Amino acid sequence: MRANRPVFSILLWTLLSLLTLFPIYWLFVISVKPAVELFTTPSLLLETVYWKNYVKVLGDDTLRRYMFNSIVISSGNAVLVTVLAFMACYALSRFDLAGKENIFFWTITNRMAPAAVFLLPFFLLFTQVFVIGEWKLYDTRTGMILLYCTFNLPFAIWTLRPTIDAIPKELDEAATVDGATTWQVIREVIFPLARPGLAVTLILTWVFAWNEFLLAATLTSFNARTITTGLSEYVTTTGTEWGTMASIAIITLIPALLIFSIVQRHIVAGLTFGAVKE
Amino acid sequence: MAEVTVRNIVKRYGSAQVIHGVNVDIADGEFVILVGPSGCGKSTLLRMIAGLEAISGGEISIGGRVVNDVLPKDRDIAMVFQNYALYPHKNVADNMGFSLKIKGRPKAEIDAKVKKAAEILDLGKLLDRFPKQLSGGQRQRVAMGRAIVRDPQVFLFDEPLSNLDAKLRVAMRVEIKELHQRLGTTIVYVTHDQIEAMTMADKIVVMRDGKVEQVGAPLDLYDNPGNVFVAGFIGSPAMNFIKGKIEAKNGRQVFVSDTGSVLPVEEGRAQSGQPVIYGIRPEHIDIAPDGLPATVSVLEPTGSETQIFARFGEDAIDAIVKDRLTVRPGEEVRLKIDPRRVHIFDRQSGARL
Ligand SMILES: Nc1ncnc2c1ncn2[C@@H]1O[C@H](COP(=O)(O)OP(=O)(O)OP(=O)(O)O)[C@@H](O)[C@H]1O
Ligand SMILES: [Mg+2]
Repeated sequence: MRANRPVFSILLWTLLSLLTLFPIYWLFVISVKPAVELFTTPSLLLETVYWKNYVKVLGDDTLRRYMFNSIVISSGNAVLVTVLAFMACYALSRFDLAGKENIFFWTITNRMAPAAVFLLPFFLLFTQVFVIGEWKLYDTRTGMILLYCTFNLPFAIWTLRPTIDAIPKELDEAATVDGATTWQVIREVIFPLARPGLAVTLILTWVFAWNEFLLAATLTSFNARTITTGLSEYVTTTGTEWGTMASIAIITLIPALLIFSIVQRHIVAGLTFGAVKE
Repeated sequence: MAEVTVRNIVKRYGSAQVIHGVNVDIADGEFVILVGPSGCGKSTLLRMIAGLEAISGGEISIGGRVVNDVLPKDRDIAMVFQNYALYPHKNVADNMGFSLKIKGRPKAEIDAKVKKAAEILDLGKLLDRFPKQLSGGQRQRVAMGRAIVRDPQVFLFDEPLSNLDAKLRVAMRVEIKELHQRLGTTIVYVTHDQIEAMTMADKIVVMRDGKVEQVGAPLDLYDNPGNVFVAGFIGSPAMNFIKGKIEAKNGRQVFVSDTGSVLPVEEGRAQSGQPVIYGIRPEHIDIAPDGLPATVSVLEPTGSETQIFARFGEDAIDAIVKDRLTVRPGEEVRLKIDPRRVHIFDRQSGARL
């Protein structure tokens, strides 16, 4: 029984990995084939590698701009949201705020309606209300970062709250008695212990902004357009450029993988063990 | 080092008042233990001294300075928590040196102080470990180390030993007492264990329901409990209490219980006819041929002594004797009560007479 276990689990993990990676492989195969081949001889095998799609995509100023926008918007949003959610959760967890459970619940209510409901109000806000002279919030990276805050912040507060709640209050008290200010408590005690939760929050909010399509398509036109939205521009009335889209999709995966590999290290469970005797 | 003064302290949570005007004077270098049953407000009072809990009324001063509005970090106190509250992401040395690091002290000074405290507490070999790699007793010592490194005006302990097993608790009791003798720092220590209070304190503050019942040296409380509550709380096993009244018989005063047993008392403690509570500690009852006959219900030999649960007629009584007994449950023993060691309390107020 014991001897079988490694073999069995290796088989299982291999199978699951293949299952997960297969669509990505397929995407890659499509991205390295000329358009004609895609429809004449559909095949999952990599016979010849055709790099023209990548050359085209990487050489395109517009696509490079979209990519840059996506990275700035997603990262800016994820960092802003995580920092704000962290502070909000600390306050919700530690301070005696009147009606704090109501506030906590209320934060999530704007995730209860489909995003489409918010389209028109946001469009009006971005084009008519948040206007200073020539400048509008519409089609700006700042606008998109703030926009995603309204969706990500409630979600982040809900993800992070249990992490902060799980850090024993006595640790704050011990640090306070040890001479720490509230900021020092947060920096020296709460932050290191909340790191796994913060990492999860960062990744999830980053991914949300990275993948978001509907709002980005409506509230940007060119300057702040994101790569996800840019992708759709290859679906035209004269046909869909599958090869180009596939290569953009593959390129789009790279920043996501980078973010994951950087942040993943901080997701270590069981960090608070040994703090207090349960 | 500093004295601590607690003046008319009141604590309210919303409309519920949990501390009702407490006064305690703690001298410089004194080891004071707050003791009382669960929920009596010991922790709350300690946390108010620490500044972790707002003060609803009254005044607390440390070293002559009123600290009501002083933040905990500026009170120059160190606290040891019941669950230790060690920083799990810091090793033992960093846990102990945290307060100095916060103050921005140079690394060399921190290392030296941590090392010195580690020596005192025998933690030298554990400095690189993390809290999760320590046993309960070691964590307890790290928590104390963290307090020692501070060299504060006052140490505050909230039931620091309650998570340890019985044997370790006794060992740590000695260690804390030695520590106090060595450092001479004022200590305010909370426990609900009267043995801890008796063995360690210079002065005990007995609390109940948010009020101070009595303050005094351990043996003083033992010998002269001010009321029935303190008499029952201090001492283990607890004092026997029998309700009845003082009566004059053949020209001498005796105690007659409600159920009719007659027990000896000293003359002049109370007026004849007065309803009282009669108190006698189990260890002040002996077996002697001229004692009063009682029926044994249960015997508990512990080796060094024997605890006897017996009945005087209807009244249950508990005695502790050094001898090994051969009597069996149901048989008769003769229990002799020394009238000089009897405590008489007013039946209405519970106050000592
Ligand atoms: N946050 C709070 N809100 C309302 N009441 C509280 C609060 N904290 C404590 N109390 C009440 O105050 C009283 C004193 O509590 P405290 O913790 O000081 O008791 P204690 O003497 O330390 O008891 P224990 O030996 O069980 O630790 C209790 O009756 C408790 O219910
Ligand atoms: Mg308590």
